[in-house]
Amino acid sequence: MAEPSIEPEGRPALAQSKPAKFVSPKVVAVYGVLTALTAAVTYASYTPFSPTKGYFNLGESMVFFSALAFGWRAGMICGGIGSAAADILLGSGIYAPITLVAKGAEGYVAGVIGRLRGGQLWAVVAGIAVGGLCMITTYFVGELLVLNVGLGKALAEVPINVAQVVLGGTIGALLSYYVKRSYPSLAAA
Amino acid sequence: MIPSIVSPLHEGKVITIRNLKYVYEGGVTALVEVSLDFKRGEYAAIVGGNGSGKTTLAKTLNGLLRPTSGQVLIEERDASQMTVAELAKTVGYAFQNPDHQLFCSSVEEEIRFGPQNLGYPEDEVRKNVDRAVEAMALGKLRAVAPLSLRLGERRRVSIASVIAMNPEVLILDEPSTGLDNEETEELMAKLKVLNDEGKTIILITHDMRLVADHAKRVIVLSQGRVLLDSDPRGAFSDLDLLRQSNLQPPAVTQLAHRLVERGIPKDIISPQELVFQVLRAGGIK
Amino acid sequence: MTGGFVDLFTPADTFLHRLDPRVKIIAVLLLSVLAFILSNLDSLLLLLGFIFLLLFLARATLSRTLFALKFVVRFMVLIVVLWPLFDPSGTPVLAELGPVKITEPAIWRGVTSAVRVGCLATVWYILMFTTSQRDLVRALVKLGLRFDYGLTLAISLRFLPTFGVLIESIKDAQRARGLELSKGGLVRRSKNYVAVLVPTIVSALRTADTLSLALQSRAYGARADRTYLRELSMRPADYVALTVLVALLVLPAVAKFLLHVQI
Ligand SMILES: Nc1ncnc2c1ncn2[C@@H]1O[C@H](COP(=O)(O)OP(=O)(O)OP(=O)(O)O)[C@@H](O)[C@H]1O
Ligand SMILES: [Mg+2]
Repeated sequence: MAEPSIEPEGRPALAQSKPAKFVSPKVVAVYGVLTALTAAVTYASYTPFSPTKGYFNLGESMVFFSALAFGWRAGMICGGIGSAAADILLGSGIYAPITLVAKGAEGYVAGVIGRLRGGQLWAVVAGIAVGGLCMITTYFVGELLVLNVGLGKALAEVPINVAQVVLGGTIGALLSYYVKRSYPSLAAA
Repeated sequence: MIPSIVSPLHEGKVITIRNLKYVYEGGVTALVEVSLDFKRGEYAAIVGGNGSGKTTLAKTLNGLLRPTSGQVLIEERDASQMTVAELAKTVGYAFQNPDHQLFCSSVEEEIRFGPQNLGYPEDEVRKNVDRAVEAMALGKLRAVAPLSLRLGERRRVSIASVIAMNPEVLILDEPSTGLDNEETEELMAKLKVLNDEGKTIILITHDMRLVADHAKRVIVLSQGRVLLDSDPRGAFSDLDLLRQSNLQPPAVTQLAHRLVERGIPKDIISPQELVFQVLRAGGIK
Repeated sequence: MTGGFVDLFTPADTFLHRLDPRVKIIAVLLLSVLAFILSNLDSLLLLLGFIFLLLFLARATLSRTLFALKFVVRFMVLIVVLWPLFDPSGTPVLAELGPVKITEPAIWRGVTSAVRVGCLATVWYILMFTTSQRDLVRALVKLGLRFDYGLTLAISLRFLPTFGVLIESIKDAQRARGLELSKGGLVRRSKNYVAVLVPTIVSALRTADTLSLALQSRAYGARADRTYLRELSMRPADYVALTVLVALLVLPAVAKFLLHVQI
């Protein structure tokens, strides 16, 4: 989404020397909302009454959705910040920095690869796979080298994250397909 | 055990509510001691101010909320023993905001979703869908994406998607929100047809004019209690009671109350009636 | 209605609540670095003690803290349990089963790492417990975050609880149409979630449309040097706290890296 930054008219002289290079209000609104959605969906899938009962974290699907439907920038920013915010709200704030990098990278890669050639199926699958791989690697390395939690805990996370990518990727791809179809004005955005 | 025979006393009751209490997790008591019966083919309205417990009551009837204490019987069966999906076969609930239900790429698919979830065989699904499409006059829109429709149409799609499960009871939460007068009347006419076919209709609303014009029974909720349960005429003759539950009676009833000393009865609910009474009293000087 | 959301922030009038949010953010960073510098279990326990003292000063109860940190506590248990299985170094060997060797130092290493994780988590928790989201965003902007990014962040925090409620409501709406979310295999389940998430996303994007109009009509972006009604200002107490914190970091760092003391 390469929105041109808005050029406000009649800007006071004071600000003239420092041109306001702001992202457009539309981008601010959409990114803010997507970030909140990612965090809310992640959070909701951790509550005791969630349909996934804590086995899966549906937030992954929102990272992939943002990336596939809105491009790599949204995938990276909304996926990264939204997931990190959910970590903080869930009381796992220490994971927030790693999550920010891991999910940000996942969203970035999925957005770049997944939208190749107008987002054909192979591109989407490749984007999810490579993006997921980035996320899993980041968590593994981050846990092992930064948090130093030991090989056991870091390894234990890998199969869970693989399942996460498969499920989240499937749902995320379905979502971008369904939302584009049932809410056509999105495709125009 | 002797197979139980439906006693004649219970015949015709679709919903029986006994001493229903519901307390939300945060500690808000939304329903205090509600006991109500709904008969087959009834047309009832549940009214009450914001936060009086209307939605909570509706959600306990289709199992979305489980009573804190008390009992809900749906067609003689204890609702607490049934899943939401099972209950959906008897109690259909159209949510206040249709956009909370719509996600398919065509109206047809959207309406099929419910009956398919309930595992109806294909020919029955098709029959139910056709009937629902007809009931809500969606024939021309079958192939259109629901989310590209106007709000009035979207609401009709969401109601059709509930009707397609062929429930005995149809609960509609604030169906007139966001609709103009014409659209509302159109919808009400369609509900009337369903009611005439024998479906039980329960209308949840703030709009007293809607109640006066269409419902045959009014249940006033206030702070989780049933304040009044009567026909619309009876309900509107007690202004204080309505005020107590933050409700505005229809303008015509309010006018009638102002004209009491001129011999106009208090229980007027339609303009025609008022005109008739005024003429009978010899006009207003 | 909060949609089950627990905002960790709890208003109170304590020293930590009044501290400038910028100082608190810096404190979290400094204390985190400190937790990584320390490698002795004893010193880490000392740090944990200090952090719990702060927790006490912020009037956070232990039960609420443990509840908020339930996931972290689970991580900590996992670390302690799993560490020795993959770390066969050191003696004495306590148990041996095929290729797996449990040694005493490995257990202590696991405990040390778990305590470090506990320190980091609790520091974060104190920040979230004593600082409102609005102050956090404002502090980040003052620390150099671009205003429009800050606004995006503020918007997302504003809508989080709203969307939490929205998701619950949509889940109910689809269940009323016979959707059974926890039924079926992987494909069926994925499709079930789609029925919940599509309306959620569409409603959220409608919100975004309205929001962007509201932003435009309030002359968002008219000038880069926007001002705030309530400016953040550092008071003497804030400088004292900052100094103490820096000292707290510098002393152990000097001891470890210049004097080569094992800490
Ligand atoms: N999920 C919830 N958690 C906690 N309290 C709730 C929840 N939902 C509703 N309540 C509370 O329960 C009471 C009854 O709410 P309910 O939604 O049933 O009212 P209502 O009559 O439908 O109101 P409205 O006309 O606004 O739709 C209110 O006080 C409300 O704040
Ligand atoms: Mg309601």
